[in-house]
Amino acid sequence: MRLLVIEDDDTLREALAEQLAEGGYAVEQAADGREGLYFALEYPIDLAIIDLGLPEVSGLDIIREAREQGKTYPILILTARDRWQDKVDGLSAGADDYVVKPFHFEEVSARVNALLRRSGGWASSVLSAGPVVLDMSRQELTVDDAAIELTSFEYKIIEYLMLKAGQVISKSELTDRLYDQDFERDSNVIEVFIGRLRKKLDPENSLKPIETLRGRGYRFALERSEG
Amino acid sequence: MGSLSARLLVSVSVLMLLFFGATVVVLDTAFRTAGEQARQDILDGHLMQLLAAANPNAEGALSFPPDLHEDRFNTIGSGLYGELRDDANTPVWRSRSALGLEIPTGDFPTLGNHQFLRESLDDGTPLLTLSMAVQWEFPNGELKPYVFKVAESLDAFNAQVAEFRRQLVGWFAAIALIMLLSISILMRGLLRPLRQIETEIGEIEEGRRVSLSERFPTELSGVARNMNLLIDNERARSDRYRHTLDNLAHSLKTPLAGMRALIKDITAERQLRGRFDEQIDRMDEIVRYQLRKPAASAADNLVLGPVPVAKEVERLVAGLRKVYHDKRPTIESEITPGVKFRGDTGDFLELAGNLLDNACKWCAGRVKIRITPSGDPQSMANGMVLTVEDDGPGIPEEAADVLLQRGTRLDESTPGHGIGLAIVKDIARSYGGKLTIARSALLGGAAITVSIPPISEGSRA
Repeated sequence: MRLLVIEDDDTLREALAEQLAEGGYAVEQAADGREGLYFALEYPIDLAIIDLGLPEVSGLDIIREAREQGKTYPILILTARDRWQDKVDGLSAGADDYVVKPFHFEEVSARVNALLRRSGGWASSVLSAGPVVLDMSRQELTVDDAAIELTSFEYKIIEYLMLKAGQVISKSELTDRLYDQDFERDSNVIEVFIGRLRKKLDPENSLKPIETLRGRGYRFALERSEG
Repeated sequence: MGSLSARLLVSVSVLMLLFFGATVVVLDTAFRTAGEQARQDILDGHLMQLLAAANPNAEGALSFPPDLHEDRFNTIGSGLYGELRDDANTPVWRSRSALGLEIPTGDFPTLGNHQFLRESLDDGTPLLTLSMAVQWEFPNGELKPYVFKVAESLDAFNAQVAEFRRQLVGWFAAIALIMLLSISILMRGLLRPLRQIETEIGEIEEGRRVSLSERFPTELSGVARNMNLLIDNERARSDRYRHTLDNLAHSLKTPLAGMRALIKDITAERQLRGRFDEQIDRMDEIVRYQLRKPAASAADNLVLGPVPVAKEVERLVAGLRKVYHDKRPTIESEITPGVKFRGDTGDFLELAGNLLDNACKWCAGRVKIRITPSGDPQSMANGMVLTVEDDGPGIPEEAADVLLQRGTRLDESTPGHGIGLAIVKDIARSYGGKLTIARSALLGGAAITVSIPPISEGSRA
């Protein structure tokens, strides 16, 4: 999952980016509204965290512009202004949730998780599709209640695929969303990882959780099972 | 005396009374004086006639012909009488008109002196009399003093004077009334600018106008200009205040957020980190509470127009639905059309936002907000009663009192709950209203009501 953080306070932005990266996300940073707007419109991202109190270009304008340009990813607002007036303005402009400064990092992390799974259409942070259950808050995967050991990158891939269960995800999308900037991008590496995942999840090749569509990409094929 | 018009009318009436009164008196006096002068002249003429008509007779006394030239002397009770007295002051002749009447005699006047007197007959008729004493030179050279006297009844004259006075007073009264009427009509036109100012201020209060039009006569243009300055200053002050607060918020809270983020890097004891976090939380709460104080108060009524309540609640509910996406509470709103909140939009959103947020947080699945006017819905001054209820666990009575005190939290696990209600209470109070916590009869959970009274004469608290 690729996140965009637009925040003019350097200390805060870098700390936030660091902590999000530790949580397994790929993070883009922008220090001002102009750069932030550009990233928001041009970069492939899954979620944007935008500070409302930006100098020059206001956070509200970035949100409106992004929505107008058809960007549907969830937007989380950071704001020092605690008043309902500002929260309502932000939400009306197109944001999906807000966090008031100063905040506990856990709060941001929880809301980011919630927004990501909501955008995938999941109502809870436990994604279950048949025997495969992924708990986003604990970052654990189980198949038939048996815990599966995954590397952090493998986890990222399966989380992404499951969040967007039913959608076809191209290799380039996976590469864009999951790699940090300094990681070497090679689509063959994705193939290798998918292969490894299949082996771990589906050793008998009976479940076939991940489907390959030639020339198009991969898809998490199991049906969501949610009440 | 409260009304300018009344004051003006009364002053003008008094002035007119004085001036017209003086005029009437002057005219009346002049008429009477002139009349009297005329009558005296006439009497003088009659006296001359008598003098001419007197003739010495054979006995060496004065006598008159039986009929005098002036007919009135000959007619009984005509009102014009003549008398001749000798040096012993005894009447020796009276005109035929004086038959049967007692003309008062009087003293012997000084020789040659025209003596005008006012006397009356025995029956009370007022008389103007003229007496003159002469030394009559008889043909034989004898000189004898005589008093010639003529008297005229003043009845006719007095009636004339009275009639004149009646006419005078009558006409002046009519003129005075017409003047008062004209002035009243004029005044409506003259005072129109005052009514216009009143109307325009009313429009400003309703938000239909931004400033007074300044198309006023010189005396009022100063007022209008100053009023506009006042309005602008108030708006600027409100904006400045809010701006300052925003800047303060930003400058204080961003370093606080930075501090929090940095704390995470302290890998030393978790306990120390926890205590740091606690202190930062407290600073945060204090800053939040102080900075969320109401932006407006009752005194700003003139500057702030009514808040579009229904529209703002809609935005708020839409926002809350996003925030509570997972819980998916049913948020029902029942807002009487035309209900007005006269104040700062931000303050209204604080009231409704905090209450709805709490309700959504605590509810089992249903939340309802109801806003009705408190007072005449048609009047510009009406207030508002806002109630938010939920189907959650509700708030027990003891807890309710504690909650309403500043900064106390009911449930530590859901931060910010206590502050929200304390802020709502502060805002309600600044608009002269109050906050009550009860149990919802409809949904079974908490029902929190904020009631803002209508504006009365001379503003709220």
